[in-house]
Amino acid sequence: MQFLKEILDTFFSDVGVFDAIFVTFQLAFCATFISSVLGIFLGLLLERARFVGKRVVIRINRTLMGVPPVVIGLVVYMILMRRGPLGRLNLLFTVPGMIFAQVLIITPIICGMTYTSLVSKAPAIRTFARTMGASPVQTQCLVVRELKRELYFAVVTGFGRSISEVGAVMLVGGNIKGHTRTMTTTISLLKSQGIFTEGLTLGILLLIMAFIIQSLADFFQRGEKTDENY
Amino acid sequence: MRITDLEKKQGDFQMRIDSLVLKSGKIHGIIGGNGCGKTTLCKLIMGILEPDSGTLDYEGLEIQNITMTAQRPYFIQGSVYENICYPLKIRRIRPDEQKIDHWLSRCGLTEKKHQYARSLSSGEQQKVSMIRALIFDPELVMIDETLSNLDPENLELFENVIFDIQKKRKITWLLISHRLAHIYKMCDELHFMHGGTVLASGGKQEILFETGDERIRRFVANEVIRMDGSV
Repeated sequence: MQFLKEILDTFFSDVGVFDAIFVTFQLAFCATFISSVLGIFLGLLLERARFVGKRVVIRINRTLMGVPPVVIGLVVYMILMRRGPLGRLNLLFTVPGMIFAQVLIITPIICGMTYTSLVSKAPAIRTFARTMGASPVQTQCLVVRELKRELYFAVVTGFGRSISEVGAVMLVGGNIKGHTRTMTTTISLLKSQGIFTEGLTLGILLLIMAFIIQSLADFFQRGEKTDENY
Repeated sequence: MRITDLEKKQGDFQMRIDSLVLKSGKIHGIIGGNGCGKTTLCKLIMGILEPDSGTLDYEGLEIQNITMTAQRPYFIQGSVYENICYPLKIRRIRPDEQKIDHWLSRCGLTEKKHQYARSLSSGEQQKVSMIRALIFDPELVMIDETLSNLDPENLELFENVIFDIQKKRKITWLLISHRLAHIYKMCDELHFMHGGTVLASGGKQEILFETGDERIRRFVANEVIRMDGSV
């Protein structure tokens, strides 16, 4: 690990690339995991629940799916700053604070995608499960099992959003070298310093790493057949 | 089972059944035009839909022992074998491999045992859905036009399957079909539905050929004419 750190530090300027890679993936994995749990649960709940104003909630969720990260970053900054409602937690300019911001960005995406898949496919699955004599819990398990491909896609989209995000992490994390600096904020810094080649190299490195993770996830998804008889 | 004063409204459609008795151990047929409420009735019996009012007295029959097959059956992602095992799995029953193989062999699906279920032809899918419905020995089986895509040979196969099951242990069947010849051959009792209500119930001879109700006579005449025209 130390060897890899030395290689990266030799190749790149003194911007703390090794730590930035570590923080980037720590952030992406934690934020995606929390958002997946929350988003899938909320998506399932939203599809099942019948209440007044449901359409408004769905519309708000769809709006939040496309909210600019910098806006979320600013809101989270105001919540976490010393005089803010959660100021005493001292989360500003920390990785947990950045995770909090990213969870707010990614959860609506995963929730919205989960809800959309469920609305179109879950009723048929539920009807089938009932005809087979499944209990409510068994029915819900079957719905999740049958829609695992769609849920996987929602999680991957959330991960992609997290890994490429720059606005919120810059505001909430403060781009502190070796502490809250991520690969995207490093690229932004290198660009401001006019070091374009290193910035581009880091961008390609980020893409390659995302590709490797995506390939690993796809490998575990293998076995899904698509030879449906239409 | 006994259905009394059942009401269900779905959009513009209103179902109202004053009284319907499904005698256990008999093969019942439900006939009627499109949109008359046959499938809605099955869904109400199955518990998929909740009635607005009225009672469904299952007379000791547990909902776990009722099953229903649809015209376009749903298949879980997996092989034919996994689909057949699903109702056993949720009941925590160990699959009887010999029984499964016997069913597959009888339906000519032995070679397809490990094939992805959704890749089968619609006729094969209907056969698998029938096996899946019967594999856990249910007490009430509702067949909602599931056999409609089968060719005459395979239709006869399932007719014999139903008769064989009836010989071994009398269970209750509810067949929905537009094939009057099939209904006439299979059923002990018939129920004619029209506009969300059961117009008449009784023996097949009585309902199909001796009824005084003009709507039933017209329905039967149309079906017979269609049959004559196509054969």
